[in-house]
Amino acid sequence: MSFVKITEKAIIFDIQRSSLYDGPGIRTTVFLKGCPLNCLWCHNPEATDGNRQLSFHIEKCTFCGKCEDVCVNRVHQLTDGIHAIDFSQCLLCGKCVNACPSSALKIVGKWMTVDEVMQEVLADYDFYLNSGGGITISGGEPLWNLPFTLELLKRCKLVGVNTCVETSGFVSSLRFIEMLPYIDVLLFDYKMTGSAEYLKYTGVSNEVILNNLEIAHSQEVSIILRCPVIPGINDTDQHFEGILAIDRKFPNLKGIELLPYHRMGNSKRLGIGIEETLVSLETVPVELSIKWIERLNELGCSKVKLGVG
Amino acid sequence: MQKIDNFSMELNFTETYRKNINEHIAIREARCHKAQFPAVLSEIQENDRLAGRTFWGWVGFSPHNAPGGAAFGYFCHELKIIEAIERGNIPVEQRDAVHEMLHFWKKETSKAKVESAFTDKMIPVLFRDEIVSLPYNFKPLIANPIYRMAGVFLDYEKLLRLGIPGLIEEITEKMNVVKASGGDYQLFEGMLIALDVFIDSCKYYEKQAIEKAKAASNPQRVKELLQLAEVLKKNTISKPESFYEALQLSWLYTLMCGSLELGRVDVYLGDFYVHDIDNYVITEEEALSLMHSYWKLINDLFRDVDGRVIIGGRGRRNEANADRFALLVLNTIKTYGKAILPQTTLRFYEGMNPLLFEKSLDLIGEGHTFPLLYNDDVLIPSVAQAHDVPIEDAEQYMPLGCGEIVLDHMGFGTPSGSLNVLKALDVTLRDGIDPITGKRLGLPTGHLRDFKTFDEFFAAFKKQLAFFIEILADHEELEYVESGKQAPYLYLSMLYDDCIARGKGIFSGGIRYLGGSLESFGSVNAADSLTAIKKMVFDDKLISADQLIEALNNNFNGYEKEYKLLKESPKYGNDDAYADNIMVELHDFMCNTMRDQRERTNLDWYLNVLINNKQNTILGRWVGATPDGRKAGREMANGNTPAGGNDKNGITALLNSLVKPSPDIHAGAVQNLRFGKDVFACERDKLNALLNTYFKKGGAQAMITVINRGDLEKALVEPEKYQDMFVRIGGFSARYIDLPRDVQMEILSRVTY
Repeated sequence: MSFVKITEKAIIFDIQRSSLYDGPGIRTTVFLKGCPLNCLWCHNPEATDGNRQLSFHIEKCTFCGKCEDVCVNRVHQLTDGIHAIDFSQCLLCGKCVNACPSSALKIVGKWMTVDEVMQEVLADYDFYLNSGGGITISGGEPLWNLPFTLELLKRCKLVGVNTCVETSGFVSSLRFIEMLPYIDVLLFDYKMTGSAEYLKYTGVSNEVILNNLEIAHSQEVSIILRCPVIPGINDTDQHFEGILAIDRKFPNLKGIELLPYHRMGNSKRLGIGIEETLVSLETVPVELSIKWIERLNELGCSKVKLGVG
Repeated sequence: MQKIDNFSMELNFTETYRKNINEHIAIREARCHKAQFPAVLSEIQENDRLAGRTFWGWVGFSPHNAPGGAAFGYFCHELKIIEAIERGNIPVEQRDAVHEMLHFWKKETSKAKVESAFTDKMIPVLFRDEIVSLPYNFKPLIANPIYRMAGVFLDYEKLLRLGIPGLIEEITEKMNVVKASGGDYQLFEGMLIALDVFIDSCKYYEKQAIEKAKAASNPQRVKELLQLAEVLKKNTISKPESFYEALQLSWLYTLMCGSLELGRVDVYLGDFYVHDIDNYVITEEEALSLMHSYWKLINDLFRDVDGRVIIGGRGRRNEANADRFALLVLNTIKTYGKAILPQTTLRFYEGMNPLLFEKSLDLIGEGHTFPLLYNDDVLIPSVAQAHDVPIEDAEQYMPLGCGEIVLDHMGFGTPSGSLNVLKALDVTLRDGIDPITGKRLGLPTGHLRDFKTFDEFFAAFKKQLAFFIEILADHEELEYVESGKQAPYLYLSMLYDDCIARGKGIFSGGIRYLGGSLESFGSVNAADSLTAIKKMVFDDKLISADQLIEALNNNFNGYEKEYKLLKESPKYGNDDAYADNIMVELHDFMCNTMRDQRERTNLDWYLNVLINNKQNTILGRWVGATPDGRKAGREMANGNTPAGGNDKNGITALLNSLVKPSPDIHAGAVQNLRFGKDVFACERDKLNALLNTYFKKGGAQAMITVINRGDLEKALVEPEKYQDMFVRIGGFSARYIDLPRDVQMEILSRVTY
């Protein structure tokens, strides 16, 4: 019975209408919470954990202390202009969120049914039709909550909404095959070249991922490869040649997008009480990303262009 | 040495009016034109290819165009004259006469005539003793009268088909018929005098051009000036035969008649242009050079609104030629550089030459604020419905000034009042009392705490609005009645249907449709305030009525919790039915109440316009904190666009909300959309799809600015580097750095997509 329940509901991290950069046309991107990977450069760290979470925006905090007053679990402690938060004690009651006059606190994630998500998605139906757009299911890792995602995909196909899934590819191949008929476009991550590196930086190994890419390619799903590029980690010729090898191996790839590193994830990390990563790494300037594109072109990879991650 | 303030033109004009005070109004007006022209026509400048600039006097006659603000028939710019008196540089022999002139016009201007005819019901609302002496910007009023005859769209086709000699012939014939039958022939006599004045003005410029040619050293310039003299001469003796002659004639007539709109240039100039190009009379380069001069003259009207050049759309008899001319207009925008005027307006429909729309988007993408986009497929049926006219008349709809819709040379509808909707809400919360002055501004409909249900409160608000709408509608009618009694507006009546046929002046029963419009400001904030009241006070009961009033009276200081709840209440612009439905209900009520005024008055229509100009900022200054979370004195949302920062759900959600208020019950609503440069540059297909969908879903209009938020922020810090950055404030374009800081901040606060 628990299976049915998962199909009905999921914790949605955000729904973004008018997305122009997550697949073809004008799209509505649905972000699911929960991801089995733990990439060092993750820019959506609040979507990693599969549960709802308290989050704090320090720049909005006025240190008024109202949150401290209402919290029975002593999650908030304000002393000498420091607002300390013990996230481990938070029971997600929401009292501090309501009490905060400056909207510095919020609960990330909201339980939603497939019906509720569909209602939001269908509001822009006409825009999809005219632009070749539709839904993009992202995360987190949308395939982590496979029953919900599958149900959502089926419902979209039923009413003619173009579907796009943004995935790391880390999912059991058996289940992956089940979903493919309902996916029009796959935004498939290619993060690192080499199994050991993959494990080192993302926490999982890449065999199943590459296998899934091969399956998707053989099923003639439209695939756009998305490659996060992190200076000092994978902006190497070795990795670029890896991208080229993928391009050669899978000639039907619709495109390859480079997603240059940006720092936005770190303030979000602090907001949910986890440590910053890549502390000294700055957001990649446009000039550098253009150099990467040029390098890939030199190597013989012509499909590559700059994406917006 | 200080400049002498010479008032000889004004004194001569005044003397002429006085001498003819008991003459037929047409004769009096015609003789006044003679006193005014060519005296107020100013010199042909360095690079002008066309003749026609004005330096209007401080006294004169014009429906709209005049210095220091809008004219309204016989005008007298008291402030400027008093300034001159105080400077003490008026020639000795004129001093007594200038003082006397000031006294004379005090009760004789067209505005004074209207004010003296106010009804008892109007006086306490529109003419409050304690505040009427304040300048417009300082009036905390709900209803403000506006004096100007805006939105003149002449029958240029007729003007160019007949030329001045042809017009004289037609009018003379008509005069003889009327005279023979014992009718009021003097109207036509006045028209003929006015046309003589026009001919004199052409000759005045012809002579000037020849003199300037003699003095010029550059052979190219000599040639140009002699050519101009020839064109002006031709205008006095025959109908125009070339593009140049047609352009010159239409421009000078526009200027002298006191209009500020150019109308369907592609229709009335298209055939001339195409003929001249195809027959090698003129080169593309030469045509463009003339257009640049035309653009400069329009821009030099120094207005921030009006100056509508309209291209494209249904109902053009010569569509292919008109399209070619429209492309020349777009090329003019591109090559001229940024300008405040003209406000080029593209009307489009499904099936029109797609090049016009594409090229227009290119221009917008390059950072031009023009053209403004008007969707015929929605607007023509809407105008037919709202204005209650046949479809073929609706096809000739023209947005004037900030976007009020009238009908080309057959239907006038000047906006003669403004309604501060949010101020009306401000007082409805407090039994009709203004919280700033403590004085009664509205009807005593009770305090917020007295209402048992939200619907009761909404009903009280509607009652207040209806009260002011009726007074302003009566005022519009009165403006026309008094103006019609005082003058036939000869230059307009000659080129407006059906004045000549009926033998009557435009505002004395001559025109086919005489309508009006009311500019409403703050509707979106009022709707969001109603939503917040409904949700917080009546539905969820999280804030009591008294608590809300206290929070508002204290501008939310010490009421942070209430402020947050009010800010987080649903807002219009997010495709959220809770908020959007209230906006629609308010919109329907206001539009329908105004539209119903034609039953009470003799106006053919009286319609709401949700336009925007600076008034959303100026009128907002006198509105206290409001329940939508807007703080005291802050700007109100612009037109039909959500308040800055309130649309948080993406542009598709915004567009879905924008199409909810019905377009077929009002005379124009402005939708501002801002896009980042990147969207235009990199995602053009998606942008096209976005706009297409919006227009297909019923989007009537869009004013698009392409700007980066970073640009605006940088411009605040280093204004000197951003001289060329133009932004749209709904009804008009402005140089961003020239705007007052609060207007700049308001623009900055609007979301960029």
